[in-house]
Amino acid sequence: MSPAVIDMSVTWLLPLTVFLPWVGAAAVLVAGRAGRTLRALAITFAVADAVLSILLIPQASSRTGFSLVLGGAFGELSFLPDGFGVYLAAVAAVIGCLAVIFSVDYMRGEEGQSRYYSLVLFFIGAMSGLVLSANLLMMVVFWEITALCSWALISFHNDDPKAVAGGIKALIVTGLGGAGLLAGALAIYAQIGSFDIPTFMEKAGGFPPQLLAWIGFAFLAAAAAKSAQFPFQTWLPDAMEAPTPISALIHAATMVNAGVYLLARFAPTFSPVPGWSLSVLLVGMVSAFLAASMATVANDLKRVLAWSTVSQLGFMVYAIGAGAVFQSQFHLLSHSVFKALLFLGAGAVIHSVGTRDMREMGGLARSMPLTCVAFLIGALALAGIPPLNGFWSKEMVLESGLASGPFWAYIVMLVTVGLTALYTLRAVWMVFFAPPVAQHAHEAGPAMKTALIPLAAGALVSWLLAGPFHDLFLRTLPLHFPEAHAEAAGMAATWTAALEVLSAPATWLAVGVVVVGALVWAGRSGFAWIGTRLRGLRRVAEAGYGFEAINHGISKAVEGTGEGLRVTQSGLVNWNVGAMVIAVIVLLGIVLLVGGLGG
Amino acid sequence: MSVNIWTIVMVAVFGLVAIGLYGLLIIRNLIKVVVALQIFAKGTILVMVAAGAMSGKPAVGQSLAITVLVADTVVTVMALALAIQVRRWSGTLDTREISKLRR
Repeated sequence: MSPAVIDMSVTWLLPLTVFLPWVGAAAVLVAGRAGRTLRALAITFAVADAVLSILLIPQASSRTGFSLVLGGAFGELSFLPDGFGVYLAAVAAVIGCLAVIFSVDYMRGEEGQSRYYSLVLFFIGAMSGLVLSANLLMMVVFWEITALCSWALISFHNDDPKAVAGGIKALIVTGLGGAGLLAGALAIYAQIGSFDIPTFMEKAGGFPPQLLAWIGFAFLAAAAAKSAQFPFQTWLPDAMEAPTPISALIHAATMVNAGVYLLARFAPTFSPVPGWSLSVLLVGMVSAFLAASMATVANDLKRVLAWSTVSQLGFMVYAIGAGAVFQSQFHLLSHSVFKALLFLGAGAVIHSVGTRDMREMGGLARSMPLTCVAFLIGALALAGIPPLNGFWSKEMVLESGLASGPFWAYIVMLVTVGLTALYTLRAVWMVFFAPPVAQHAHEAGPAMKTALIPLAAGALVSWLLAGPFHDLFLRTLPLHFPEAHAEAAGMAATWTAALEVLSAPATWLAVGVVVVGALVWAGRSGFAWIGTRLRGLRRVAEAGYGFEAINHGISKAVEGTGEGLRVTQSGLVNWNVGAMVIAVIVLLGIVLLVGGLGG
Repeated sequence: MSVNIWTIVMVAVFGLVAIGLYGLLIIRNLIKVVVALQIFAKGTILVMVAAGAMSGKPAVGQSLAITVLVADTVVTVMALALAIQVRRWSGTLDTREISKLRR
């Protein structure tokens, strides 16, 4: 194939991957109530987009593949098909497609299905746009669209006050972070007169150090809010009011990765900023540990998974802080697959049992064998048991942390690995193997199985992609991997990496910790004294370490200020005109004092 | 004492704006509020025409004045229609009474 042909197809593939789901969203809305047509349309568009996004992967390059002049300060709507972009778009589209298929069974008989499918497709397109965009301002736009879709889908059951509150909370917290991103983008525009990401990364060295530091920390705040990292972690568990396929797609596999993506994308630019890398590493470490401890005491199945998502995202952020961008992205890939699998498995269980409380489940292994096996594969991957994908990527993260991060942070992460194994086994045992509580459960439907089986297979084998994945990054991201040499190692690199992981002593230490975590659960009656000793800590962890109280305080303060200021909104025309006259006089006074407009 | 034409215009402008503002500040009857707003707006239109003539670009000032007149008419019609509705629903035109009824 000649280069011109390659360019042509990329030029078409990029906007299609982003906007085809939006066409689908509109089509689904128009199709309205007709149940079967509606689902067929949604699945068609989701599958088509997944195929497009996979076709995009071989076309990856470090050059902008599509651009459309928007004019003025907006610059160009341009897409950059580099390693990050194509693979994250593929994750969004493929897992989005599986979530849509899963929803056919999960949402059967629900009201408002056209709204549901249309929002899911809208989200898939926006997520692809977010990771492919080469224009920072457009990235902010896509970023906020994903937040809006997330809000609308969390509050999908809008007659449930908890769902509405969870949605609003997610919107406000991620919106605060989005403000940081927008401020950073505007500062960049003020400096270089363009929103183009490659241009910024090229010229960032010439920025005043102070300004670059501000931008770096604004982006860190944005990333922490989006990825539910410390201190913004509380919105994610409340977002679990969403229908479960939404939790799998948006709140485990795609949108929450946007923050990690942002940090990874700009890591080479901000790592020279003093304290930036260490702050990123600390945010990741604290999130990973706190969230794992909260997952250990939660009783709601989806909340356990939500806390574990925060914890695993913490691993990725920690890796970026330690300078291991590839390792963080590889763990992101593994996590997307096994966490989507876990959530969809949990969705099948919840759909069948009708509750999310793990204490009311138990013994489901017999009635739901396929779901049980799928969930078990996901759980073992999460716990880091070889040879599943979670094991390899987590070991890579830990090893890079040991090599280039502080030692005490590595120890904390190691403890977190043990906690992960503990809470994962606890959840699996409570759901599938505990003495059954009276209930009638049925196996997942055919559409659910169609979505679960590929994900389970993916959790088993996705780590084999390590070599090609690494090649893709080396080839298309020269700024992140300046040491890259041109020749692709392909699958051979997978075996080299696997051998490296297997021969490192740290790996066996981590596996040992996993085993200890598992043993603690197996012999929990013997460890009951720890539970009683740490009852206070347990209560604190159940209360979310007081972050809920802080949130509550902030919202109370905002409410109080609003109530107080209501006095000024008298609605009386005389008062309003009076205020206007006073304002004009004050303005005139200022102008006179300063000495006239424009001097 | 020779009286400049612009002096007369300025006095008229200040007079209209002052009357309009005074009305808006103290009047409570909705219809009269609309009338005060009209007087205020006429003052600003006059200043636009005058400013255009003074700066040697009379066409600009006049076309702005025409634009404001059109918008002003629409605002007035809407305001009066609302005032009629308010009167029908609440039986009063007093702005304070209307505010009290809302609470």
